[in-house]
Formats: sequence, structure tokens, C-alpha cells
Amino acid sequence: MAKMTRSSINRPPTPDAEEDRDQEPTLQEIINIKLIESGEKERLKELLRERLIECGWRDEMKALCRAFTRKKGRNNVTVDDLVHVITPKGRASIPDSVKAELLQRIRSFLASAAL
Amino acid sequence: MSAPNEDNMSSHAQLSSHFFGDLLDSIIVDVASECHRIARLGLDRNLEEEEEELRLSAQARARVADPSNSGEASSKYVVDIFGQTHPSVANEIFECMNCGRSIMAGRFAPHLEKCMGKGRKARLKATRSSTAAQNRYSRGSPVSTYSPYSNSTSMNRLSNGTPGVAGEEYSNGTFEEP
Repeated sequence: MAKMTRSSINRPPTPDAEEDRDQEPTLQEIINIKLIESGEKERLKELLRERLIECGWRDEMKALCRAFTRKKGRNNVTVDDLVHVITPKGRASIPDSVKAELLQRIRSFLASAAL
Repeated sequence: MSAPNEDNMSSHAQLSSHFFGDLLDSIIVDVASECHRIARLGLDRNLEEEEEELRLSAQARARVADPSNSGEASSKYVVDIFGQTHPSVANEIFECMNCGRSIMAGRFAPHLEKCMGKGRKARLKATRSSTAAQNRYSRGSPVSTYSPYSNSTSMNRLSNGTPGVAGEEYSNGTFEEP
């Protein structure tokens, strides 16, 4: 009778549909894509880099790296080492004005992206 | 309607911070990567020397600031940039055109002061010659006595070793001396 054909309906869904559901982009990812595609992320990064050079932050970080390199020996240093050396002090020593400027730019972008 | 907006704003703030942190991490990695490259390629010439140089420059600064080291006036063994040393007093010897004595170059100016007018003895000799000439040319500074030398050939002829007495020979008033 018709029962034999019905069993085919109950087979598990195809893998493609399952992948789509797991990978539905988060809001963050959506914004990230918008930032990159519009070129704004690159502009923001350049702006931040410029401000950090102006205020001497970059020189401070380079000095930290040199001091660490001198101690550890210049051939024993890895990028990872240096990232760990810089990150705590780096995050803490961002001038407030620089941070405020960047946050303001990002917020404007979020608003203009109508999210 | 305001509630969703507030949610939007706080989530906006959160998102903003998140993306700021993202940018910052990216820049930190850039800096670390560049420093790593400089370290590995040995492009930082002064890496170990920096402390040595700091010490040397501090030393040099101390030496310059030291008042007992006044440069040329100090010991004979100061070396200039060409590696030459000079005695602290110029030692070339020549004849004084006023009195004819042999004078050391480094002692010439003080000698002239005495020989020509600033000194007590020279001034006494001058007053013995015409006071009119003295009043005309006296200004109290040794510089004014240099002008006679433009026509000093006559004085050269007559200054034959007599110490500081040249003034007397011009008692007719043509020898100007303060």
C-alpha cells in the first residue's frame, strides 16, 4: 500500500540544511563583514595606528620589545612572546582621547549601518 | 519603543568596544611582528650597545659640564679633532714694534698694555711729552693707541731696544700717546 513510500519521507534531513543552521551569522559577524566590505575597518585601523604613533605608544611598545629581546637573546624571541609582552601594557596605556575617538567612529558606523 | 533603543545602545557600546579591541589586537600583532623581524634580522645595531652608549654619553656630558675642564685653557694635553695638541700659551716669539723687545705671542697683549700706555710707567713717560697731544688722543682705551701704527715706520727706526722710553723721543708733540 502507500505505507512503503511514506518511509522515504522520514529520512533525516540532508546535511546541507544542517550546516546552514549551525553557521547562521551572529550580529557581530554581520557587522564585521560590513566593516570590511565597506573599507571602514581598514580606515579605522589606519586612524588608530596613526594616533598611536603620534602619542608615542608605538615607541613605548617597541622599547618593551627591545628590552625583552635583550634579555632573552635575539634569536630566541618569537612573535608570540612579543605579543604577550606588549598586550597587557598596550591595552592599558591607550590614551583616553584616542580610545574615545575610535569608539565614536565605530558607533557612527553602527548607526549608519542601520542595525 | 525606547526599550529596544536602549538595548540597541548598550549592545552598540558592547559591539563598539569589541571592535575597538579587535583593531587594537591587530595593531599589537603588527608591532610585535615588526619588532620580531628587527630582532631576528639583527637590524637593531645598538641592541646590546644601548646601555653601553647611555653610559658613555652620560660620562661625556659629565665631562663637558665639569668646570675644571674648560677646554682650551686646561692642560697642554687636550687633543683637538685633528689629533693635535696645542700649548695653553701661544709660544711664537717676535719683536715688539714699540719697544723692540722679544715677546712671546701669548704674552703680547699684556706687554703692549704696559709698553704702550695702560701701565703706570708708560703713562708717566707720556705725560712728560706734550700734554696737548695726550689730551687730543687719550680715550683711556688701548685701542686708540693702535692708530699711530699706520705711520709707525719712523718709530720703528728709533725704537732700538730702549724699554718704554719711546715717548720721550717725541717730545715735540708728534707722538700721540694717551
